Amino acid sequence: MLTIPATIAEAMIAHARELAPHECCGILGGTHGDVSAHYRITNILATLSEDELERFDAPKLSDLKQLSPEERADIAFQMDSQEMGKALRDIREKELMLQAFYHSHTMSPARPSQTDITIAMEFEGYREKLNLPEPLHIIISLLDAASPDIRAYRIHNGEATEVPITRS
Amino acid sequence: MTKVRIPTPLRPKTGGKSEVEVSASNISEMIEHLETSYPGIKERLCDETGEIRRFLNIYLNEEDIRFLEGKNTPLKDTDEVSIIPAIAGGR
Repeated sequence: MLTIPATIAEAMIAHARELAPHECCGILGGTHGDVSAHYRITNILATLSEDELERFDAPKLSDLKQLSPEERADIAFQMDSQEMGKALRDIREKELMLQAFYHSHTMSPARPSQTDITIAMEFEGYREKLNLPEPLHIIISLLDAASPDIRAYRIHNGEATEVPITRS
Repeated sequence: MTKVRIPTPLRPKTGGKSEVEVSASNISEMIEHLETSYPGIKERLCDETGEIRRFLNIYLNEEDIRFLEGKNTPLKDTDEVSIIPAIAGGR
């Protein structure tokens, strides 16, 4: 169970709408499933060179290479590492813990793609070394523009399991 | 020797190794020594201005080197360095 204050949920939806058709991304901090801090992170995908895209898995890489840099950000995101580092540090300084990473799917349902699962699993391999708790992965779908869908998932052993979200 | 953890996307450059050992006095020297052992890895780590690429974080033990002394951050033999790509994904 993840509890997100209505103000933060609205701020996440506003972020997704502002960046559409690009995907947005960000980080949530809090304690024991209660979210209390929200960080917008810049999606730098459109500014990456073709060589830098090699951090993506082969099927995604092949899709991305067929698009212009601007269009790439419509189907994928890459967090700015400096902003991500600052957010994680701020969470720690406030004596909170990482709760979730979020991003938007502007034209598809709020379900993790294979790329989302692959990269989440990669991060699992690094996270314990950094002494970070296991994050949930939240997707904001704008498929129904009038009523965006926000869903959270635990990604473990290559599988995504939905975790209920309560808005407080 | 400092232990350096290599992220999945860079492992083709290290012959598939997820961890390598380097003798270096700071992060800059570590990158140069990695390049000597694994040619081509430096350009995957640093942009044309020599800065760490904007989708990578380098951690010394549990701390981001940006909050230490950046590329001048000193290294000890017992240190562990982790090169970690920032979260990405997409539909």
